[in-house]
Amino acid sequence: MITPHNILRHELIGLKVEIVEAKNKAMIGIKGKVVDETRNTLVIEKEDGREVVIPKDIAVFLFQLKGCKVKVDGRLLIGRPEERLKKKIKILYPY
Amino acid sequence: MKKFLEKKLKKIAYERIDILMSLAEEEAKKGNWDRAKRYVYLARRIAMKMRIRFPKKWKRRICKKCGTFLLYGRNARVRIKSKRYPHVVITCLECGAIYRIPMIREKKEKRRKKLEERLKAKSNSQTS
Repeated sequence: MITPHNILRHELIGLKVEIVEAKNKAMIGIKGKVVDETRNTLVIEKEDGREVVIPKDIAVFLFQLKGCKVKVDGRLLIGRPEERLKKKIKILYPY
Repeated sequence: MKKFLEKKLKKIAYERIDILMSLAEEEAKKGNWDRAKRYVYLARRIAMKMRIRFPKKWKRRICKKCGTFLLYGRNARVRIKSKRYPHVVITCLECGAIYRIPMIREKKEKRRKKLEERLKAKSNSQTS
């Protein structure tokens, strides 16, 4: 099952998602369900049925899992769906 | 460590394939064939990338020729044939591809079981 620990490698399609941060301010607040995915984008179907294509690297996503929510920086999700499984995860933030 | 990690990743891969195929089935029932096709494609790609066998549960639900999701009775036909050898025939109604699933093993198993029961009954009657 999908957990906060393996969400980076797991299936995103079918999950409920909300965009909480984005370089393009017009994207903030978009809410819906992930219906497709490519290397650099997520396709989200909004509540009213329309589909929007969101670039991964400019947004921060809040995914609704069973029993909890996970905020994920889109830059960590870059990669084709099948390649994300084997991807090395690099640290984005300096400490 | 490497083996452990690989096992974990394979498990995630199986889970993902299951999720994708379930979603493909839902979309197919709703009539979104393009999306169902896309999900099937993604599931197959994951299996290839991780070098795992496609789960038996879903193996016969996809058409290998045109990549579509087979919804029995809707875009696929299932028939039982006895000619030459007992088998199930699944036909994709979109591209005409045919898949045969032999049932020789099942048939032999059934026969053997029947024979065993008969022998048991005979030995019982002899004893009493």
